[in-house]
Amino acid sequence: MDERFSGFGAFILYTITGCMMLFILAPLLLVMAVSVSDSYFVTFPPQGFTLKWYAKVLQDRDFLEAMRLSILLALGTTAGSLLFGVPAAFALVRGEFFGLAAIKGFLLSPLIFPALVTGLALLQILTKLGSQDARLNLLIGHVVVTSPYVIRTVVTSLQLVDENLEDAARTLGANRLTTFWRVTLPQIASGVAAGGLFAFMVSFDNYPVTMWLANSEYSPVPLVLMRQLVNVFDPSVPAMSTIIILMAMVGVLLLEKLVGLRRALAA
Amino acid sequence: MKSSEVRLDRLVKEYNRTVAVDDVSLTIEPGHMVALLGPSGCGKTTCLRMIAGLIRPTSGDVFVNDKKMTGVPVHRRNVGMLFQNYALFPHLTVEENIAFGLEMRGISKADAARKVGEALNLVQLSSFGKRYPAQLSGGQQQRIALGRALVIEPAMLLLDEPLGALDKGLRESMQVELRALQRRLGLTTVMVTHDQDEALTMADKIVVMRDGKLEQVGSATEIYQRPTSKFVAQFIGASNLFEGPIEQRNGSGALIRVSPELSLQVDQIPQSASEVMVSIRPEAIVVERVGQSPAAQRVNSVTARVDQAIYRGFVSHYYLKTPSGGQIIVFEQNQSQQAGLRYAVGEEVVARWESPSNHVIARH
Repeated sequence: MDERFSGFGAFILYTITGCMMLFILAPLLLVMAVSVSDSYFVTFPPQGFTLKWYAKVLQDRDFLEAMRLSILLALGTTAGSLLFGVPAAFALVRGEFFGLAAIKGFLLSPLIFPALVTGLALLQILTKLGSQDARLNLLIGHVVVTSPYVIRTVVTSLQLVDENLEDAARTLGANRLTTFWRVTLPQIASGVAAGGLFAFMVSFDNYPVTMWLANSEYSPVPLVLMRQLVNVFDPSVPAMSTIIILMAMVGVLLLEKLVGLRRALAA
Repeated sequence: MKSSEVRLDRLVKEYNRTVAVDDVSLTIEPGHMVALLGPSGCGKTTCLRMIAGLIRPTSGDVFVNDKKMTGVPVHRRNVGMLFQNYALFPHLTVEENIAFGLEMRGISKADAARKVGEALNLVQLSSFGKRYPAQLSGGQQQRIALGRALVIEPAMLLLDEPLGALDKGLRESMQVELRALQRRLGLTTVMVTHDQDEALTMADKIVVMRDGKLEQVGSATEIYQRPTSKFVAQFIGASNLFEGPIEQRNGSGALIRVSPELSLQVDQIPQSASEVMVSIRPEAIVVERVGQSPAAQRVNSVTARVDQAIYRGFVSHYYLKTPSGGQIIVFEQNQSQQAGLRYAVGEEVVARWESPSNHVIARH
């Protein structure tokens, strides 16, 4: 923003921004607050202060097992959706072929289709195909759901890359693959990182698709949280949530430091 | 650097149903600089990119030293190319940019470093090696791009409106500099431009293109003095265009009747012609005050009124209106001691010129 806001305009701007921040952050702060409540049920305002729920959670074998599964799943999903999404984005932006617009619409469609429907459809297909491994099914399902995020952010940053850079590299003796690796990728790194982060986060807390594809043996964190919530709603649930919130924050800050996430998201 | 001959043989490029380049054949002699000149959308850039291999022709071939290039991918063609927006890699330093092509050719680090230094010397930016492109001015960036294109010792140099983004003064000095360098290296060069001055300044041969076709090919003088079409006459410099029937043949020439008060004597005219178009360059016309010169003789001279007068430093532009409503543009060089415009708006003047200035354009 070039112009500085001042006077009444600034007051309005800061008030509205503040309200939005509060609106978004309040539920998270509430979760964090009740996670240290020294009571057997979730109550607000929290009573006393204790870290015993964290101690309990960090010794909970189900939770730790679910965390491990979720992190591995999210990492696998990130890798998978980047492998699929980056070339797809490249084809969408640089390619010229029949039905480009239709394919673009289709590849971005899981952002529009209800995830619940996507999950059910996936379950039916994977069952028909005889795929029994819940971990593989989850990976496939999550890649399907997260790829559009990668495609979208990469498409956005690719559109900003000057095609002449690629032409210049090619006239200088680089083949298409080298050109992509050495010239294009460094320009879209922030977009790729943002897409990867989206993929990781969306995979990590995805419930509607996960619900269909998981089984009792392999349950990612959202399912364990939900189960716990239904069984005993004690402050260990907010404690688990807080751990996840902190993890997400660290991830975002790290990426911001590494590749300037803000720039990628602003694009 | 050895010079290559570049030959375009019946090049055609179609996009869906539109024809961008329509049957273009052209030979570029070794060491020459050729300018593809034309308005936007005339197919000149498409031609250049087909020579580079960045666009595959629908039909026709590009030959370099009689070797067919069709099917040879861009990265094996060994062409140096400059782009209007410089296209330097923003994430690499100047040195790394220049070394890119060398690295692709597997040249050793030590040799590459030496060549990068030579290239920086050549473009007179030796002290800029460690900077990033964003820290350089437009002119400096294009010099680096030139260094990057030349360091690979290309078979030819392709310039896509290379100076289009620079200010007028810098552009003109870079034109002269680039031309001198190209001559010195003897590098076959094809340039795309929509700027006639750039083409006239830099090229051995100018190729005027229109609607995907070659309109006229020739030296700067040929194109300027003997345009073969109305389009070329108007696109390169300014022209006064007249048309009319032949009033009377005399020897190999004829008298052309343009209007009741003006006829043109042309010295050469095709036997078959009955209607002709004549172009007269504005600087060929002499203007004198009525009374100070013999009265207009009707042939190659006409009495007119000054409609607009523009002082442009070393030259003044006069727009004259003839009694029948025709317009004549006159450029008159100003004398160093002259106080402003010699003729005022509304003044009656006589415009006259010599027969050799009447250039007949074939009617299409």
